[in-house]
Amino acid sequence: MKRFLLGCLLAAKYLAITYPLATLAGQETPVLPNTNATQNPWLILQKASQAARELSYEGIFVYQSGASGRSVQITHMNYGQGEYARIVVLDGMPREVLSQGKDVVIFSPRNEKVVIEKRRGQNLFPALLPSNMDLIKTSYTVKLAGIERVGGRDGQLIILEPRDQYRYGYKLWTDREYGLLIKSQTLNERHEPTEQIAFSQLTLLNSQNMDWFQPNIDHDKKYVMEDSPAKNITPDDNTWAVTNLPDGYRKVDQVTRMVPGKSYPVTQLIFSDGLASVSLFIEPLVKGVEPKVGHTAMGATNFYANTNNGHQIVVVGEVPEATVTQIAGAVTFKK
Amino acid sequence: MMKDQISALIDGELPVESADHLFIALKAKNETSESWATYHLIGDVMRGNAVFKADFNERFMQRLDQEPSVLSPSNHAPANKGFTKTSTAWSLAASVAAVMFVGWVVLQQQVHNHVDVAPAEIAQNVASEYLLAHQSMAPSSTAYYIQPASYSESGN
Repeated sequence: MKRFLLGCLLAAKYLAITYPLATLAGQETPVLPNTNATQNPWLILQKASQAARELSYEGIFVYQSGASGRSVQITHMNYGQGEYARIVVLDGMPREVLSQGKDVVIFSPRNEKVVIEKRRGQNLFPALLPSNMDLIKTSYTVKLAGIERVGGRDGQLIILEPRDQYRYGYKLWTDREYGLLIKSQTLNERHEPTEQIAFSQLTLLNSQNMDWFQPNIDHDKKYVMEDSPAKNITPDDNTWAVTNLPDGYRKVDQVTRMVPGKSYPVTQLIFSDGLASVSLFIEPLVKGVEPKVGHTAMGATNFYANTNNGHQIVVVGEVPEATVTQIAGAVTFKK
Repeated sequence: MMKDQISALIDGELPVESADHLFIALKAKNETSESWATYHLIGDVMRGNAVFKADFNERFMQRLDQEPSVLSPSNHAPANKGFTKTSTAWSLAASVAAVMFVGWVVLQQQVHNHVDVAPAEIAQNVASEYLLAHQSMAPSSTAYYIQPASYSESGN
C-alpha cells in the first residue's frame, strides 16, 4: 500500500514538474485581469465562473443552511492541463473529496472502514456559476451593489433577481482583485437568506507543488470501493413524459438509481436553470408501500410528492414551492 | 508477498503475461482481491497520472475474464459484506444487470394492480432520502459538502 501511494505521489510530482513547463507562459500571471475596470455585472459573473476553474487557490469556506453549518478546506490547482482539487470537511463527520477533471472520489471514514464513492464532477463552490451566462440571463436580472469585505478580501456584491416566481434570488460577492466568487447567499421569496457559503480565508497559489493531492489514508484500515449509486441507463420505454416545465428550466441529466430503503431502481431527472436545480423522481408504486403525497420544506429546499398513473412522483429542489409543484404536475403518462 | 506483486503489476514492473498466478489468486481469494481493489481505487483517484499504462485495465480485464471462476463459499460474514459485493461485481456485473432489468420489468407489470394503500403525508425522514439523492446529482449543490457519509453505502 505504502509503495503504491508513493508511486502516486511520485507521479504527482512528475506532473508538477513537467506540466508547468509546458504551460510556463500561462503561469507567469496566475491571476485573471482585474475586474475593477469592468462594470458589466454579467462579465463579472463570467469572470467569476472562469476564475473558479482556472485559478489555483486554497482556502477555508463556511457553509450554512438553517441550523447546520460546516467549515470546508479547499485546495484547487489548474495547470492548464486540467483541474485538481482536494476538499476536506473540517467539522463533524470527516469527509474528503479528491477530484481530477470530472473524476471525483470521496473518502468517508465510517466505523473501521473508509467508503470511497465515485461521483461525477459538479459545479461546487466556488465554481457555482455556469460557464455560459446565457443560461441564466433569461431567468434572472442582475445589478451591481456595493463593495463589501469578505474573509479579508474586497468583494463586489452582485444581486441576481429572479424574473419570475420559479426561482430564488442570489447575492454573490466576487473578489475585486482575482474575480473569484468568495461568497454566495440564497434568498427566499421574502428576500431572507436561507443558505450561505463564504470564504473565511483565501490565498492564491503560485506553487506547482502537488504534494497536497493525495488522500489522507490510514494504512491499517480497510477500504471499500462503492460504485456510484446512479447509472446512466433508461430501463423502461419512457411511458411518461415531462411537459410544460417552468420557464428557463431544462433537463440536464437522467439516471436510474438505487435509493436507500428501496429494493428497486428509481428514475431521477435533473432540471436546471443554470443556477437552481430540481430533481424529479419517478418510481412505480409497489403493493404494500405507502404512497406519499403533499408538500414539505427544509430550509431553502422544497419537496412535493403525488401519485400519478400508478407511479410515485417526488420533486425536490432548492427552488420555491411553485416550481416543485409545477414540475410534479408536468409529468404525463402515455396510455 | 502477493500484495507486493500486485503493486508491481500495477506499477508496470511485472509483465501481465507472467502474472497468471495472480489472476487465479485474485479470483479465488477475498483477501488478495481486496488489496487489488484498494490499489485499483487509489489508482482511480490519480487517474491520468500515468501510473497505469494506457491499456492496462483492458488487458487486465481480458485476462481476468479468461480465468475460470472460482466460486467458493466466503467465510467472511457481514463485516466484509460491502467488499465481497465489490470484488465479485467484476464477474457478476452482467448477471446483476440482468436481474435488475428483470426486476424492473416485474415492477412495471405490478403497476396496474395495486393502489390499495392509503396515501401518507410526505414525512421528513422520507424526504431526506430524496434530498440526498438530489444533492448528489444536482449540478450546483452547495449542500453537497455536508452530505452524510453513510448515504451512498445505504443506497446500495
